[in-house]
Amino acid sequence: MSDDDEFENGVVDVEEYDDVWVFVEEHDGEVMSVSWELLDEAERLADELGDDLVALAIGEDLDDVAEEALERGADRVLVADDPVFEPYRADPYGEQFRAMVEKRKPSIVLIGGTHTGRDFAGRVAVPAHAGLTADVTELGVDDDGLLEARRPAFGGDVLATILCEEHRPQMATIRPGVFEAAEPDGDADGEIVEADVVVEEDDAISEVLEREVGDTADITEAERIVAVGHGIDGDLEPARKLADALDAEIAASRAAVDEGWVDGARQVGQTGKTVRPELYVAVGISGAVQHLEGMNKSETVVAINNDPNAPIFEHADHGIVADLVDACPELAERFDEAAEPQEVVQ
Amino acid sequence: MSWTIVVGVKQVPDADEVGIDPDTGRLDRASAPAVMNGPDREALEAAFRIRDQVGGEVIAMSMGPPNAKTVLKEAVAMGCDDAVLISDRAFGGSDTWPTSLTLARAAEALEADVVICGEETTDSSTGQVPPGIAAHNGWAQLTYAEAVDARPEEDRLAARRDVEGGHELVAADLPVVVAAAYGEFDPRPAPLHRKIYGENDFEPTVWDAEDLEIKDEVGLEVSPTSVGGMETVDPVERKGEVVDEIDDLADSIEEVVA
Repeated sequence: MSDDDEFENGVVDVEEYDDVWVFVEEHDGEVMSVSWELLDEAERLADELGDDLVALAIGEDLDDVAEEALERGADRVLVADDPVFEPYRADPYGEQFRAMVEKRKPSIVLIGGTHTGRDFAGRVAVPAHAGLTADVTELGVDDDGLLEARRPAFGGDVLATILCEEHRPQMATIRPGVFEAAEPDGDADGEIVEADVVVEEDDAISEVLEREVGDTADITEAERIVAVGHGIDGDLEPARKLADALDAEIAASRAAVDEGWVDGARQVGQTGKTVRPELYVAVGISGAVQHLEGMNKSETVVAINNDPNAPIFEHADHGIVADLVDACPELAERFDEAAEPQEVVQ
Repeated sequence: MSWTIVVGVKQVPDADEVGIDPDTGRLDRASAPAVMNGPDREALEAAFRIRDQVGGEVIAMSMGPPNAKTVLKEAVAMGCDDAVLISDRAFGGSDTWPTSLTLARAAEALEADVVICGEETTDSSTGQVPPGIAAHNGWAQLTYAEAVDARPEEDRLAARRDVEGGHELVAADLPVVVAAAYGEFDPRPAPLHRKIYGENDFEPTVWDAEDLEIKDEVGLEVSPTSVGGMETVDPVERKGEVVDEIDDLADSIEEVVA
């Protein structure tokens, strides 16, 4: 006896699905830059497929966000605007997003791989029985029009192509920073569509009691970065001096984030962000493959490490084997002078 | 008041021991020893902290081949009260959709009030299974949880969550699925008597797909995603110059930032 009649394994008629959707993540009116990065990349995919590019925003008071999405190339913006969505919670977001997906049947859904995106994506993909690929770093379309979602596997030595052939939508969370956002062209042609809000506060199963958002630095946009690793041994000061002198943002390897020395929003690598600065100075970073993977788009890489055998030296353009506590301030001094010769410090 | 806290643990290849296959030049995962996924140790610690607060039982569950029972014995040695191995050839080829379905059904069968998982596994690192479990059961979820606080009088669990650029405190109705943020829950030393019991005498209960009534809802057939191909990533070419003097290094940097 077969259960096939009852349970069709979630396979759908893929012809019924079209359009490329991009989730526009906003908190308190501020859009995460990964959303605009995705919108740009998705425009390329939509053109290739002959599909419409649709931006989707969930939150409260989204008029400006919707307008900007049109200016940045969306053919349509779907908006679910209601106080129940602010601040973000997984259950109302997931349910609303899922209802929109089931009603409008997009072929591709791209979500930024932020904590928020990674949190609720499954609440859409599971009930929709969609294919969901995590932490994607490259997107393409194959000859049959299938989304090719590429993600690093085995710690980053291998790039795996994930396909979703018989289920829809083809969903993916994309690592922040891997694509570059273009400037809006100011042309806001397109339609803003108000979606029915299907969620009510009474149905919510979670409640945000406190929220403190402070460090919203976006390292993916930084032109210069000083990144610290386990080797700094909790002492951020020398690296910070160097960062100040170079006018650089501080970033970190996973090890330094796990130790609590640097905030997680500044993590570079497989489970963090991809950066592409003109200068990347790795301070006390050994050079694990998971980290390299997030920084190998940097133009010039400089390594400072006291271990001559650290793998980072093979992945750097310029390096020095030195004690960090001495080397960083010494370097900083050179650039303090060079950058602001006339300024009297202290 | 006592809660049933179920912890998902997974057996993975030891990332530190994965060698390079001399013939292919690729990572050889098959030869690496199998160990408990590191983040799951922290999930266990988070569970013990809730048990300290409200009382009850911590039960480890693992989906895997028969030899995955070693990580369950280890979980009991670390302080779990019981453990279940969910093992069936039918699970072969499962992506995160059927995997989270299987764990969701097991959590339901165990009458879990709280399910705790590590933030992600070191072998596939999708982080999709904890929200997947919550979604399959329609339960609340608290991912990237850096601290947990049981509120038994409200039938809720609160967690401090690491969100983009900050933190938030969220309370969720039971049953709830928690993903413990990596690096936040330092595992406590195992009491000696548990260690002896777990390693020597304890044997986990074993469930198969039939026991969970999901025989036709697991495996390759129901997995929406498939691997279309693998390519080795060519390393980015770097100059690899190492200098002795800070001034030489500064000169190189100057060329970039000038």
